[in-house]
Amino acid sequence: MTLKVMTAKQLAEKVLNKDRLFILDVRNEDDFRDWKVEGENFQYVNVPYFELIDGIEPIANQVPQNQDVVVICAKGGSSVFVGEQLVDAGFDNIYTLEDGMQAWSQYLEKVRVYEDNNLKVFQFIRVGKGCLSYMVVSGQEALIVDPARFVDDYVKAAEKEGAKITHIVDSHLHADHISGGNMLAEMTGAKYYMMKSEGAVFNFEALENYQKIEFAQVQLEVLAVKTPGHTPGSVSFLVNDKLLFSGDTIFISGLGRPDLGNKVREWANDLFNTVHNKVSEIADDVIVLPGHYADLDTEINSEGYIGDTLGKIRKRNENMFKATKDEFLNRVEKSASSVKPPNFEEIVAINRGVEKVDSNKMQELEIGPNRCAVHHTE
Amino acid sequence: MNVAKLLDAKGLACPMPIVKTKKAINELESGQVLEIHTTDKGAKNDLTAWAKSGGHSLLKHEEDNDVLKFWIQKG
Repeated sequence: MTLKVMTAKQLAEKVLNKDRLFILDVRNEDDFRDWKVEGENFQYVNVPYFELIDGIEPIANQVPQNQDVVVICAKGGSSVFVGEQLVDAGFDNIYTLEDGMQAWSQYLEKVRVYEDNNLKVFQFIRVGKGCLSYMVVSGQEALIVDPARFVDDYVKAAEKEGAKITHIVDSHLHADHISGGNMLAEMTGAKYYMMKSEGAVFNFEALENYQKIEFAQVQLEVLAVKTPGHTPGSVSFLVNDKLLFSGDTIFISGLGRPDLGNKVREWANDLFNTVHNKVSEIADDVIVLPGHYADLDTEINSEGYIGDTLGKIRKRNENMFKATKDEFLNRVEKSASSVKPPNFEEIVAINRGVEKVDSNKMQELEIGPNRCAVHHTE
Repeated sequence: MNVAKLLDAKGLACPMPIVKTKKAINELESGQVLEIHTTDKGAKNDLTAWAKSGGHSLLKHEEDNDVLKFWIQKG
């Protein structure tokens, strides 16, 4: 008997397939409480590895023999340490998550969202953090929306479609994860667009100067130039009047949180105007593709991606989409006291190019769950 | 501070810093202090949680460039 290895990719498949799995998380209790691998049919036991140094007796009775068990730690060292002890004790159903939560945080699952004669759209689900990014392919060109920092994944995905990345857009300055936009632009020579009002200090194309980005058979409309809300320069992109990349403005189950700049009331007002003026002009059958999800199990659709038609989202969030301005502001303000994304101030500084850190530091700052969506629907 | 023993766990990855800490603490008398040096960033939360669950006191910790230093008094 040996300890088997499970990769982040294999684990992501189990999450998306809603498989049954037993998770033995051996990180300390605070880290587990804060952030774990979420699966609809997963069972959990959390016992820190340092309680198991003298042996696995404390958990021997809690670990099942008749289903797969994956041992998870921060980086994949302690899970091997505990997993091997379980194997030595006679268990033959034990896996270790390779490179631990570190790998889990970084894994991107690629799903095809949409295809017609003019374009193909893929969604990249960062399952460990709930962040979404996108690739639009048309002819031999590709456009990336809100790339994560694992830029090789996008380059490979474009190559697979026989395309080259020529355009990169960031819908806003991200507060919860480090953008790959600048790195990917340097690597590919693609044009990188974001709002100038977001305050980035490196070279980029200011979205304020564009009403549309056009390439091959694609027309990417920069929605009314400015759809503020989450941050002052947040935009949405409407593609060929069929798909809306909503960034952090509209989610499947709610709206973005406008409270990260300590100007709740002012930004909530912007979000209200976005929802009631700009978004209300878009057709019901447009597919909304957001920048995040909060709960995979409820937000993933039958086709395996996170997205829904604008009409259905409007219906589900009627109290926000139909609220009076006062009701809207009060609801947003009430939800604004909730927890902020970990390290968001430092992540914002890095995404502006004001602060530079190495990849180890990036990884450390990004550890933890995503907390960008507010649920106004409760 | 009167340090009874210094444990150099620099360069070791999780779980080894705590495995070695536990062993070193076992060799001390109650009330004696162990000083630990490690470069594993995760050690901070884990050592704190481990000391608490084992009834030991984390007296102090410092960061010196990339080296994390801890002083733990055996309970």
